[in-house]
Amino acid sequence: MFSLNPALGLSAAAALHGVVSVAALLARRRTEWVRRLGFGGAAVASAITGLASVAALRSGGVSRGVLFVHHASGFSLDYAIDPLAAWFLLVLSLLALPIAVFSLGYARHAPLNTRSVFLAVTFNVLLLSVELVFIAADVIGFLFGWELMTLATAALVATEYENPESRRAAYLYLVMSHVGTGSLIAAFFVLASASGSGSLATLLAGDVLTGPRRDLVFLLLFMGFGVKAGVIPLHVWLPEAHPAAPTGISALMSGVLIKTGIYGIVRFCAFGLGTPPVAWGVLVLMVGGVSAVLGVLYALMQHDLKRLLAYHSIENIGIILLGVGAGMIAIAGGQPGLAAVGIAAGLYHVMNHAVFKGLLFLGTGSVTVATGTRQIEELGGLLRRMPWTGACFLVGAVAITGLPPLNGFASEWLAFQALLHGFQSSSEPLLQLLFPVAAAMLALTGALAAACFVKAFGMTFLALPRSASAAAAREAPASMVWPQAMLAALCVLLGVCPGVVLGALHTVMVSLPHLQPPAEMIRGPFGMAATAGPSAVVTPGVLAIALLVGLGAAALAVMVMRLRSAIRRAPTWGCGGLLGAHTEYTATAFSKPLMMIFRAVYRPTREVEALAKVSPYFPYEVRYHVEIEPTFERYVYEPLTDRVLRMAERLKVLQAGSLHAYLGYVIVLVLSLVLMVWWTR
Amino acid sequence: MNEVLRSFAGAALQAAFLLAVAPLLRGGIKKMKARMQTRQGPPLLQGYYDLAKLLRKETVRSETASWVYAMGPRTYFAAAVAATTLAPVLMASAPLEGAGGILGLVGILALGRFALASAALDTGSPFGGMGSSREMTIAALAEPALMLGLFTSALAAGSLDLGTVVRGELAAGVLFRPSDILALSGLFIVLIAETGRIPVDNPATHLELTMIHEAMVLEYSGPDLALVEWASALKELLYITVLIDLFVPLGIATTIAAGPLALAVAAWAAKASVFAIAITIVESTNAKLRLFRVPELVAVSLGLGFIALAIRFL
Repeated sequence: MFSLNPALGLSAAAALHGVVSVAALLARRRTEWVRRLGFGGAAVASAITGLASVAALRSGGVSRGVLFVHHASGFSLDYAIDPLAAWFLLVLSLLALPIAVFSLGYARHAPLNTRSVFLAVTFNVLLLSVELVFIAADVIGFLFGWELMTLATAALVATEYENPESRRAAYLYLVMSHVGTGSLIAAFFVLASASGSGSLATLLAGDVLTGPRRDLVFLLLFMGFGVKAGVIPLHVWLPEAHPAAPTGISALMSGVLIKTGIYGIVRFCAFGLGTPPVAWGVLVLMVGGVSAVLGVLYALMQHDLKRLLAYHSIENIGIILLGVGAGMIAIAGGQPGLAAVGIAAGLYHVMNHAVFKGLLFLGTGSVTVATGTRQIEELGGLLRRMPWTGACFLVGAVAITGLPPLNGFASEWLAFQALLHGFQSSSEPLLQLLFPVAAAMLALTGALAAACFVKAFGMTFLALPRSASAAAAREAPASMVWPQAMLAALCVLLGVCPGVVLGALHTVMVSLPHLQPPAEMIRGPFGMAATAGPSAVVTPGVLAIALLVGLGAAALAVMVMRLRSAIRRAPTWGCGGLLGAHTEYTATAFSKPLMMIFRAVYRPTREVEALAKVSPYFPYEVRYHVEIEPTFERYVYEPLTDRVLRMAERLKVLQAGSLHAYLGYVIVLVLSLVLMVWWTR
Repeated sequence: MNEVLRSFAGAALQAAFLLAVAPLLRGGIKKMKARMQTRQGPPLLQGYYDLAKLLRKETVRSETASWVYAMGPRTYFAAAVAATTLAPVLMASAPLEGAGGILGLVGILALGRFALASAALDTGSPFGGMGSSREMTIAALAEPALMLGLFTSALAAGSLDLGTVVRGELAAGVLFRPSDILALSGLFIVLIAETGRIPVDNPATHLELTMIHEAMVLEYSGPDLALVEWASALKELLYITVLIDLFVPLGIATTIAAGPLALAVAAWAAKASVFAIAITIVESTNAKLRLFRVPELVAVSLGLGFIALAIRFL
């Protein structure tokens, strides 16, 4: 079969990204050309990246090389494409390709049509930087890619810069990302000074640090990557930034960019610092569980489609971390086979989430273009007007809910298995109890996600339109529908072929230390199992066949008995009144029982105002306003920023504005450094 | 290939058997309830008459509805049918062993619920939305309790595959562990919640303030409604069967022979009747809870599951 040299392929892709960026800049007057060049080039480059990463996963080896050499100083930047990097590159390319195609059509619409040059160039730069993050083999290259990625994303979040909310989102994203990057740099300093090298291979050999310093570095890294991944409580930027960006970028952020945090947690925290102690795994597991449950709870209360999806990203990051955390605890407990199940669940879900969340975001983009709004309460009835977008969105909704036979089910099934067997990794009863509790949290998450997506899909696509713009919606052009169809097909494929996915993941896991994936996990292309032996096998394809047979049985039952085959259409009974948008159930009402039940989490404030003229019993208008309390923003971040600002206020005296004073600072600094060096010698 | 064909044939037979018996369960419970209230009650076979009647009727669908509305009952029905093939009923292994075990079963039932709850939103009537919202809410609350209970029962076998659990219990020979009582009580509450029984939901009501499941399917009629009713009955029977598998599998056949199979049918029917009686007693002696009191009931179930686990571990 055709096989591509991974290094060559990635170089070609990178070159293509660069060339089309420059070409797009040169052709900036002809925006249609810019779009074709920029997004078409990005699509081709992503396809090449995908082929290269598949080749790397097939070979299972590591391709190393040099990105950049400065001969005079002997400084060089290296890359290494190992199976873990290849896996994440594959995830990136699987999503970047449809996004690029989608953007071809999407960027034609206002307000992006006039910003196509910016969008196309920055999109290419962003893809390039993410690739660099995954393949960097030393700290400098990694941080360069990381920072370029952050800045490109921030710029894209502020695409609609006239909008103060976009500017605020971009600013918040920058601040939070840099807090994260700061803690990463601190960790790298400790690691680099202890190992005397900047190469990730040396840094992450696992024997660099011991004792409390190792714990500190773990915490710094977990925090740094956690900000990027959007785990609770470091998530505050995420629900602001995702909706503000253009849809394609939102899809990329949610599908891939937050996964760079997961990449970091897996590569650095789980496998880069030696055998992780139990406490690290417990921390990751607990953060995962809390992120999953709170993420979906907050998502339920959102009525802006993009914000809703953004909170679901937090939820899914939580699910991924549940798998990774279970894997880490198993490593600590000396269960390399069980650890492989947990890690595989996490990495499998990374890909699945990229696919179905990308699909849902693209669907939202279609809806926004067609109706001009993302508010669920103003939509409705779109399935008849946008049949393809609606059908694809439904596939994504079923997949993200973790229902068989689609892909979300496969990875959540693995996560459940890791949690079921997790108690074997410890003999500590309290720790053993943690696993079933985590499983219950995962179950709650899945069921709440189902409620949320019944709402999101039903209110957006079913029944009657709730606004004139929804009533006038038209199906999106083919260039925007095809990418969605492709992602929907992937949802099915990744769901019914878990054996194929695990085959690729097997290569990844063999390359990681402390893991011994049992060969029995792969049961042919369509099946997988968590353990050796006959039990606990899942074959989603068989479930799909059983479902189809069930559908056939339903059709049969109806057909055999039916006397008249015609279907009569009749208006829905409107309870004696006129049926219309105002009689439909609303998204707010739909999620209200859950708001009442979980009011300890939401702490809602409600205002009901009845406007009446004649008598209070005959109001002509009732106004209902509900708001949930932004707990983390109010109780964690507000006090924190207040304190930081107050401290900055006090430090203002240092900034005297006098050159002499500044020179004095420099002298004091240099002297104290000299003294310190002299002292420690 | 032969093996595959045989397991699919077994699956089809088992699904057909449960489909045939399911209306009897509901009829039996109705009859017993009536007797407890010293009423005559409908005939035992009323469920079958109702299904036949509904299936013969004309299909009427809302003008505003799309294909999702038409697919709702069918998917719900198909999911319930597919789920039956994942549980051991008479034989000590599920017909489609290796298709997904109990997680597959729970997942596929959730798929059916997802389809029906979405479809309920499609007519534009406020009832559908109300029912859909309440159904999904209660399902969300019941899910963690269900998972805790399942985990407790699956721990001994170390597998979430029902066949393995059943065979493990048969081999161990232990009939009852203390934690099982708690886990069973917890799962029984889940059963009540998931199948829409009093005190969580009242299958006999059409009062708008209290309907949950009935509100969701209010707009359906004729063959569509028949499929929903049939699938709901099947689902109830399936949940009972799963509880039997988890806690009292004794009597289930381990070989395909006339003797053991006859014994298995008798044992399964007897145990299912015990559960039916338990449901009847609970329904007859309790009043329906207010919607916002249901979380407390489910919390009890969650607590029971947790204590059962703690007993196993500590």
